[in-house]
Amino acid sequence: MISVADLVKEHRIPANFFDYGSYLKGDLEIGLLENRRGDRLIAVPDSLITSLYSGLAKETGQASRLVLFNCGKWWGKNFYTRFTESLEEYYSQSLAEMDMITFVQSLKECWKTHGWGRFEFDPQYQAQGFILIKTYNSPYIRKVEGNKMPAGYLEAGVLTSFFTRLTGRELLAVQTTCESLNAECNTYIVGLPERLGIVESFLAEGLEHEVVLQRVLR
Amino acid sequence: MTIPKIQELINQAQDRYLASEELGLMESYISSLPDRLKLYKFIRDREIDILQTVADQVTSELPNVAVEDLESGIKNLILVVRYCSMAMLLNDESFLKQRLLDWLEGIMSMRDMRRLNETLYKLLNQVMRQQLSPTQLALIQPLITAAQVTLIY
Repeated sequence: MISVADLVKEHRIPANFFDYGSYLKGDLEIGLLENRRGDRLIAVPDSLITSLYSGLAKETGQASRLVLFNCGKWWGKNFYTRFTESLEEYYSQSLAEMDMITFVQSLKECWKTHGWGRFEFDPQYQAQGFILIKTYNSPYIRKVEGNKMPAGYLEAGVLTSFFTRLTGRELLAVQTTCESLNAECNTYIVGLPERLGIVESFLAEGLEHEVVLQRVLR
Repeated sequence: MTIPKIQELINQAQDRYLASEELGLMESYISSLPDRLKLYKFIRDREIDILQTVADQVTSELPNVAVEDLESGIKNLILVVRYCSMAMLLNDESFLKQRLLDWLEGIMSMRDMRRLNETLYKLLNQVMRQQLSPTQLALIQPLITAAQVTLIY
């Protein structure tokens, strides 16, 4: 027997923390946008991202990929903290008590609501030690002339440190399909660095995602 | 006329006055408001009653259902009824869809509670039919059905 009166006692039944309508707030008079916890949000112009990328490429050349990957890692570390704090507060639950479905679903909603595109989580290779992440309409992917390798360095970085923090093990996210190369989405394989380190050379050989995946699964 | 449509009309102020038929649509929504408010208050005040009836009957129909599942099923149903009521007040099905169903669909698709949810909605519909007048039912039922169809089928 359950008591509905008890269930509604606190009035608030948490649903989607990242619900766009409740999430985005702002104090327009002083020019601030905020999320529902009062953290500052800003709309980053698309052209700013393009400019940052081309500035970086001009100043640092080939190294700009590594710089972006490291920026992504730094971002992911802070993002993980904010994200989990928000959820723990909103659901009045510690991360350990939270079910995986709510966590993953919130991550997807978070992505969408911030305008970072669509995020998919594919756990079908979890037993073999890998998960696949797909992002669609990423704002961080730019076409690089003459480039044949995936270019989502910033996202690869953010996923690397996010999942490293989440699992408490050093993980790596490597990108195998990229919107800048006309793929439908950006695919990242997340797993142990010692098993994924080789992926870059597979990609350099021109291997497709499926082949790369089969090889690392072996 | 739904609230988003009304907002569109409000935005027209920068370009022009509203045409008579546009005002007519606005008026017809506004004149439906007293009924909507009355129904909204009715459901609000009877929330516990309605859902407790559903919860009690579920346990007799599905005696083996785990308490955990039942609790999560009822919590989701409470949310659905709350959002349906607000959507009814706003006359805006997209409110329900965008603010709740898209979320619940993702949460529920990964957990197999189909049988429980079918029973929950069947019972909720029964209770609503007993407690509401046919006109009231016509205002809220399509929303509950939308939730049911999205979440179960």
